[in-house]
Amino acid sequence: MIYSKPNRNERTKINRALDRWGTFEFFKDKVLVLQKDDTKKKIVVCLVNEKIEELLLMAGMISPYSLGLAIGELRKEFIPSIAGADLFARYGKRNKFYIVVSEKGEKLVLYGRDIMGESIVEASDALAENELVILLNTSHEAIAIGRTRFSGNSLLQKGRVTVTTLADAGYYLREEG
Amino acid sequence: MNGKIIILLILTIIFSKSPQSATLSAKYGYDEWLVSRFLKYVPDVDSFLSKMEIAPTQYIRANTLKTHVANLVKRLQLKGFELKTTVIPEVFAVTKAPFAAGATTEYLLGHYYIQDLSSCIAVEALDIAPGQVVLDVAAAPGGKTTFIAQRMNNSGIVIALEPNARRARSILFNLARCGVYNTSVFKTDAVRTGLFEMKFDRVLLDAPCSCEGVIAKDPTRKTSHTPEDVDYCCRIQEEMIESAVKVVKPGGILVYSTCSFAPEENEMVIDRLVQNYHNITVEPMNYGSSGLVRFGDMVFGDPLNNTRRFYPHLHDTTGFFIAKLKVN
Repeated sequence: MIYSKPNRNERTKINRALDRWGTFEFFKDKVLVLQKDDTKKKIVVCLVNEKIEELLLMAGMISPYSLGLAIGELRKEFIPSIAGADLFARYGKRNKFYIVVSEKGEKLVLYGRDIMGESIVEASDALAENELVILLNTSHEAIAIGRTRFSGNSLLQKGRVTVTTLADAGYYLREEG
Repeated sequence: MNGKIIILLILTIIFSKSPQSATLSAKYGYDEWLVSRFLKYVPDVDSFLSKMEIAPTQYIRANTLKTHVANLVKRLQLKGFELKTTVIPEVFAVTKAPFAAGATTEYLLGHYYIQDLSSCIAVEALDIAPGQVVLDVAAAPGGKTTFIAQRMNNSGIVIALEPNARRARSILFNLARCGVYNTSVFKTDAVRTGLFEMKFDRVLLDAPCSCEGVIAKDPTRKTSHTPEDVDYCCRIQEEMIESAVKVVKPGGILVYSTCSFAPEENEMVIDRLVQNYHNITVEPMNYGSSGLVRFGDMVFGDPLNNTRRFYPHLHDTTGFFIAKLKVN
């Protein structure tokens, strides 16, 4: 693994994403480091504290397997991880990109299932199709990352999957399992 | 003398069989050599073996990086869980569970970690303060690592070592689930701690062991466990503790723990270390029973009194050993 501070372009891309999720203020004074695999194709954004950042210099002889908390992946767009979504939901200003699902919907999401319209209890009518969203439970805790299949009020239509689940907190259990 | 040379001479001590060891091994289905040994270092062996027949009490540790203790208790109680407080404020015994404690939303969201009380006491013994630099050796699956990070409130540095790729991955899952961002995982083993060129305020060595203390979780060990397991483990433990002690800052603390009852893996390792390094003191701890000061024909130094043993039938934990060592 190769670790580096984001360059200006990368930082701009990350900042835009943080702004999108309403968490720019929270991350303003936080340290972010990029983890790249040997091919440099996969770029993971890691939240670290200042001391951990110093470790990069001190532990020069061995490359860390992980550094801090992976909050997302930098592809064409920034895709939050579940851990990142959790921070966004807790410290960000909730906006149209957050969808709240019912208790029954939460259980299904945590098994990796997609979201049916009737499971959505709160969604902005300003949402477009194919938008990346964070799915919250009724306690407003991040339980999954999803992508909308419809726009606006069509997200609430019954009997159809209206949001595709991309990643969910249940994977901790399934993967560990 | 060099510790490595000594350990090669030490083999698991086997005691002669007795009518009591024959009765107890037949009653509970253990190999008799093991019961003969338990009779030498476990108090009230019949109660102990009886307790090992039932599933150990389950404990959860509230993750204060993600929730408040009171909130978690309230949420789990609403789901039908009954919890009992313990000597560690964040840790609760699960006395009633309507379904598996690992299947709640709160667990998946990292609001708590399922972790034995004894394991949490090992972290408590580190006397961690925010901002410190801590090394967690043989860290997988990350229960103690996440508790250390929690006690540091995500400040300072935690370096977690795990040489096995699959097990290192399990640490990443738990760090992510628990929202830990002050930790770095290295895929390496304890004997390479010198490569970091740094000293640590605190070092935790929860050493790989023969797992005598968790037979209640894995009853096959009643007969699959062999004296060679203990021989093998204490050699590794000797190497690991030698490496670990060298990277502790003066004034720092090294906590050594195992989930074994075998004195060869516990008091004997510490006794040799204290004999070899005169700048190490064994610090007292608040919980558990005193460590052994004699075993078979061997007599250990008085400081071994300060080490701690945890027995399932006395402390309602899995079997555990903890030594808190101060490097002066």
